[in-house]
Amino acid sequence: MSQDRNAPGAEPHDLVIDRLVRAPRPTLWRAWTDPELLKEWWCPKPWTTEVRAFDLRPGGAFHTYLRGPDGGSSDNPGAFLEVVPQSRIAFTSMLLGGWRPATPWMPFTAIVTLADEGEGTRYVAKVMHADQASRDRHEEMGFFDGWNTCIDQLEALARERAPG
Amino acid sequence: MANQAALLTEVFYALADPTRRAIVGRLGRGPASVSALAAPFAMALPSFMKHLSVLEKSGVIRSSKDGRVRTCELSPKTLGRAEAWLAGQRAIWEARTDRMSAFAERLHQQELEREPGPQRPRR
Repeated sequence: MSQDRNAPGAEPHDLVIDRLVRAPRPTLWRAWTDPELLKEWWCPKPWTTEVRAFDLRPGGAFHTYLRGPDGGSSDNPGAFLEVVPQSRIAFTSMLLGGWRPATPWMPFTAIVTLADEGEGTRYVAKVMHADQASRDRHEEMGFFDGWNTCIDQLEALARERAPG
Repeated sequence: MANQAALLTEVFYALADPTRRAIVGRLGRGPASVSALAAPFAMALPSFMKHLSVLEKSGVIRSSKDGRVRTCELSPKTLGRAEAWLAGQRAIWEARTDRMSAFAERLHQQELEREPGPQRPRR
């Protein structure tokens, strides 16, 4: 818990999500790196995940396409930046496979790390977003399309979390 | 963070309904009167007012009355764009991580059942 969480240091618009999972590291690694398993948890039901590319190596494409129940969709192309078996995956929306530059509606880089802890695994996901200035610029360039996708996802989340 | 989580839960439920999402979408273009907001919906006004009230209670929108006209607008406090943006991302990643954890734990249980250890009685 006290070790640096995916240094360098967190900025205010970074998200750090931290869980102790009651499963060994190889199991988490499998859940993350087998696209057939990843699509089971990547997005909230009743949304579905299509894994269009999963080339698990630096510069390899990582592309998911999400479909909602009412025709909504979310296209998320990206690329892996770093892959350390059983312990670390970094990926970004700002590059495509083969290091080709992208202009995503949501620029981010995410780093997930796995570490043994007791009988389980400490899972930390750090999601770094572009700074406020580029976010504002992005907003002018059509933020609302992206925001609508967000709201769609929030809706799906709300449904999933709704009791009963 | 606890406050943010509680706020998010409220916002989730407020946005869980397509009518309410459409209202928020409309208000994203600027303030509007209740009658203008209600016009596109084939819905009795009392039902429509209930949707507005859920949105207002969650803090997503706010309204003010001038004479007989009630005007609604997005509440900059709750859905300040940057905050909404980050809060939305947090919600998505928190929930994704919860699903991954639950999935890995189930997978682990299956793995345990599939490989019976020497001390595990055979069925």
